[in-house]
Amino acid sequence: MAIHIPILIIISPLLAAFLMLLSRKYKIILATTSIITSIVFILTLSSQILSGDKVIYHLGGWRGPLGISLVVDGLSFFFSLIALGLGLLVIIYSIPERRYGRTYYFLLLISLSSMIGVIYTADIFNMYVFYELLSLAVYLLIAYPKTGVTLWASFNYLIMGGVGLSFFLLGIGFLYAMTGTLDISHIAERLPVAFNSSTRMVLMSFVLIATGMGIKIAVFPLHGWLPDAHSMAPSPVSALLSGITVEIGIYCLIRVIYSVFSTEAFSIIISSSHTILIVLGVVTLLFGASMALVQKDLKRLLAYSTINQIGIILIGLGIGTELGLTGALFHVLNHAIMKGALFFCAGIMIAKAGTRDVQGLSGFSRQQPAIVFAFIIASLGMIGIPPTNGFVSKWLICLAAVEAGYAVLAVIILMASAITAAYYFRVIQVLFSGPPKQSSVLIYKGEQMIHGGNFFRTWTIYILVAGCLLLGLVPALGISMVKPAVSLLLSHVIP
Amino acid sequence: MTPINISLLVFMIGLYGVMSKNNLIKKIIGLTIMNGSIVLFFISIGYREAGLAPILEKGTTDAIPTTILVDPLPQALMLTAIVIGISITALALALIVRIYAKYKTLDIQQLSKER
Amino acid sequence: MGSSKIIRTIVQKLFPFIVLFGLYLISHGHLSPGGGFQGGVVIGTAIILLALSHGIEKTEKKFENKRLSMLEKLGILTFIFLGFLSIFLGHSFLGNFLPLGKPGQITSGGLMLFFNIAIGIEVAAGVSIIFYALVKYRGEI
Repeated sequence: MAIHIPILIIISPLLAAFLMLLSRKYKIILATTSIITSIVFILTLSSQILSGDKVIYHLGGWRGPLGISLVVDGLSFFFSLIALGLGLLVIIYSIPERRYGRTYYFLLLISLSSMIGVIYTADIFNMYVFYELLSLAVYLLIAYPKTGVTLWASFNYLIMGGVGLSFFLLGIGFLYAMTGTLDISHIAERLPVAFNSSTRMVLMSFVLIATGMGIKIAVFPLHGWLPDAHSMAPSPVSALLSGITVEIGIYCLIRVIYSVFSTEAFSIIISSSHTILIVLGVVTLLFGASMALVQKDLKRLLAYSTINQIGIILIGLGIGTELGLTGALFHVLNHAIMKGALFFCAGIMIAKAGTRDVQGLSGFSRQQPAIVFAFIIASLGMIGIPPTNGFVSKWLICLAAVEAGYAVLAVIILMASAITAAYYFRVIQVLFSGPPKQSSVLIYKGEQMIHGGNFFRTWTIYILVAGCLLLGLVPALGISMVKPAVSLLLSHVIP
Repeated sequence: MTPINISLLVFMIGLYGVMSKNNLIKKIIGLTIMNGSIVLFFISIGYREAGLAPILEKGTTDAIPTTILVDPLPQALMLTAIVIGISITALALALIVRIYAKYKTLDIQQLSKER
Repeated sequence: MGSSKIIRTIVQKLFPFIVLFGLYLISHGHLSPGGGFQGGVVIGTAIILLALSHGIEKTEKKFENKRLSMLEKLGILTFIFLGFLSIFLGHSFLGNFLPLGKPGQITSGGLMLFFNIAIGIEVAAGVSIIFYALVKYRGEI
């Protein structure tokens, strides 16, 4: 049974999702049990992964490049742990809400299962199939409260996500045309021969795959779906979306750059992709920060802040040295924890105050001081102030930028952190000021939750904030989790 | 005009439809055209000169054929891609039905103003 | 949604043959073009054809929404349980544990036949349910 762990991690939420459709009473028990089972399965693999080994599983008994394999190595292990951890907290956060029926938990479990499928698979077409399944579940989750704005946001996301994944599929088509196989490591072996004979098709496939993933990651010109989708969704879904769904696109991009185009012949692709990632990261960073300054809606502000942090992760990836990759991957973990905590707090605050306008939330610190305290700590992490984990990852990326000779990047990241401080402190100041004025607008009926701060909800926020402080005070914990992933990526890069 | 070039041309036509048409249903039709062009692309990649259909005749005793067959793998991949295209179209049409019931218009300029 | 008497009679007479063709596509999926999804869509199309010619109320009395929904869930659960059965018998998930026959026979696919049947039932039910949902939505929430 221990050999079958990779497929059991994917199948366990899927089985629970379909069993949940048969019975109405056991939905929450099935949901939490299946995710906890998957987390336990992943942790049993942890000793093997952290020592640098890989776990490979062949589906259906077909070995080699003929069949679909699941590979758990350092990078997959890291991302899947973030996905399932945040998923479990999202399910626990959604428990007190009576209006979420079976369909909501069904869609959550399907999206978590297909996320793990994207992360674990070693077959590039299978990655596309699981990514489409994840996108379909997420479109339905955003449109779950069937109000007008959520339907519009979901439709917008559907069109842009569909176009993005079509680009991805066309890129896969070009790769298949040149190499004749679909297994990622096998493509990496056969690609240099094809590169010498038809250079343009290889470059075309790389550009198509990068553009497709760029639409899903929401880099600057292709970000149009993100503010609507992440702000109009229900709060636990927003936390899941901002926390991990955007990072799945980053995972696919890392896989394609480092595992497919990984040998020495592609040095031009890797070095130009580093430059493009740095430029796009800087533009996305500044764009997200400046747009977040002018937002009146709390969840839209948090969505633009996500664009901000994605820019920082892209800069870290673009620098490409060991410090840069460590900082970028650690920032993925930190962003999931902090943005999850922020969206959970925002959900409670919006439900209690009845409005999403930042001005309407004023005086909230008198009603629930613990939630506001958690909000303050999480936003300090997003800005990057010392005892929190956001400081460690931003510091690593700035250090990597200075070491690689791009000191101007460190200055830009610090400037953007100052703008981040400006908009978060504006919200905190409103939270501490007097009673709200009567003319606050932007009440969306779909967001009214029955209970505001409940036992489940507050404890998920406390767990996330505790993780934030823990990773900030003991950064060696987080860096040791990231180290196998970084060493795996660096072993692929040209020396 | 090889089949690969034609499929890329149809892909661009679909992309133009998604980007510049104002009606929501025309955008979905553009997305479906893009998916169809990718199917055409994959199938035309798998073509071999003078190849037969990849079906074993009844009564052959060996499982490995000796004549030239076209590549069956892109055809199997495209079955999956067609299923995914159908799911996206069905979901998008369900969303359009509800959007129309709420806003009484399918024009994207009016919808983005009303939001 | 009604049609003329000619169309209703012809669809009623053709319906079993369309379902038979769909079952042929499902069961010969490993020998000729076809398979679970294609045969399932053909059977679903037969039900849609009935709904288009005879009216949605009469079709729904014969093919109830709840029964199709239960068939759909059973189809996908059968698929996952066959995968688990394969794990219990020692092979990997979705691996084959039945003996392979001669190529060209219907028993030569091993476990593929059962997968095709499960997916065929599921897709037929799924396509019919999608059609019912899109037709019956009249603006109520």
